[in-house]
Amino acid sequence: MAYEQVKVETPLVLRILPVASILLFFGVWQAVVELKIVPNTMLGSPTQVMALFWEKLFEANPDGAVLTTHAYISIIEAFTGFFLSLIVGVPLGLLMGWFALAEGLARPIFELIRPIPPVAWIPLTIFWFGIGIPGKVFIIWLSGIVPCVINSYVGVRMTSPTLIQMARTYGATDWDIFKKICIPSALPMVFGAMTISQAYCWTTLVGAEYLAADQGLGYLITMGRRLAMPTMVLLGMICVGLTGVAIGIIIERIEKRLLAGIRR
Amino acid sequence: MNATVEAAENRRVKIEVKDLTKSFGNLLVLDDISFNVAQGEFLSIVGPTGCGKTTFLNALSKLIPTTKGNIFIDGEEANPKKHNISFVFQEPTCMPWRTVRDNVAYGMEVKGFSKARLEERLRYILDLVGLTTTADLYPNQVSSSMEQRIAVARAFAVDPDLLLMDEPYGQLDVKLRYYLEDELVSLWKALKSTVIFVTHNIEEAVYVAERILVLSNKPTKIKAEVKVDLPRPRSLIDPKFVEIRKQVTELIRWW
Repeated sequence: MAYEQVKVETPLVLRILPVASILLFFGVWQAVVELKIVPNTMLGSPTQVMALFWEKLFEANPDGAVLTTHAYISIIEAFTGFFLSLIVGVPLGLLMGWFALAEGLARPIFELIRPIPPVAWIPLTIFWFGIGIPGKVFIIWLSGIVPCVINSYVGVRMTSPTLIQMARTYGATDWDIFKKICIPSALPMVFGAMTISQAYCWTTLVGAEYLAADQGLGYLITMGRRLAMPTMVLLGMICVGLTGVAIGIIIERIEKRLLAGIRR
Repeated sequence: MNATVEAAENRRVKIEVKDLTKSFGNLLVLDDISFNVAQGEFLSIVGPTGCGKTTFLNALSKLIPTTKGNIFIDGEEANPKKHNISFVFQEPTCMPWRTVRDNVAYGMEVKGFSKARLEERLRYILDLVGLTTTADLYPNQVSSSMEQRIAVARAFAVDPDLLLMDEPYGQLDVKLRYYLEDELVSLWKALKSTVIFVTHNIEEAVYVAERILVLSNKPTKIKAEVKVDLPRPRSLIDPKFVEIRKQVTELIRWW
């Protein structure tokens, strides 16, 4: 029962518009700096940022590491935190959604910790872990775990009551129902959690590095400020943005492939 | 009447419902209902709207606890973990992440059928219900009447001691309903299951059942019992059919 793929031509204008919008944005930015409307001490131009990007690929000074090292460190931290929050958060949320005992035990603590912004943990984290990678992973983990728990919990809660009743009439045990009805039915929500959690992790990463780090993209931004180099700040920001977009695309690809098997 | 189907009175009692009472707080819904169902009998239950049919079925299937009274299967208290009770709900109950085949197999999986027995029975049932060619599709790839057939096939597959059906064809158009009713009757004949079929459609009840219990308004009691002693396949315009239909309609009418 295959459906025929219908190709819809996008009008030329709609295809040109995004490109035009980006060109316009960078054009105005360049002009604003070139014409000294904004002084160079406050803002670097796109061409200056590009030049610094090229330079920083090979040159470790003045901040102590080349750009790829900064990006590598940040990605490692973000992904370690992200995977740890998936490993802990998803099962926790799923269990909380089905078993009253798990919900009763974990929910109050979770609700108490949830409203605290992850960056508020930074001082304690520095006491506990210093400024190395483990501390940042801990903070990233804290921020990533929240959507994992909530989405998995809601996913199980949204399981069709009729399906649960159906399973009960066949004499399925609670564990059976959890395993064979609730978890599969929660999966689309769990994949949603992956996307949200990934974005949270990446956002928190920059905050964490901003305050406590000696390497990473967030650290590059901080160093730009300390050295009064707006171009370096911009370079850090752009790298954070681009890496985030790249990670987002990869996760979306993975999700699409896995969800295709579930066929919701 | 079909020669192979023995008259219900001569068959062994399979299901015994004794003093079944259910109240929610002060609201008495089921009032001391008692009846028997014979082995392999096809019993229909009809009643006016809001007479507590769903509560009645939920109590029978042990989905909700009863206030008083109980249900016995083969003389033992009914227990979903021990007895094979199947329930076909009004709305489709297919798991969207399982293929048609795996949906039909679900009941047998829960019941712990051995792999070989499951496979063999699955093939037999899928063939009987005509789902073999669509077995590898997912529920969102088949029509909703097909989804209901999946649920019916799943229910029959576990070889149930008691098969409860809650207006399974209520949401289908007339033509499909006739078709599926015929299919249901032939499944029942082939598998000799004991069926309690709840419906608000009097014609449907007379068409499929051997015996009809008419329920009263709340608090629900059994108002009357009607035997449907007609040969199969039944004709909707046979004078005898029409007569029974009228009789049940008179019993049920509340206007």
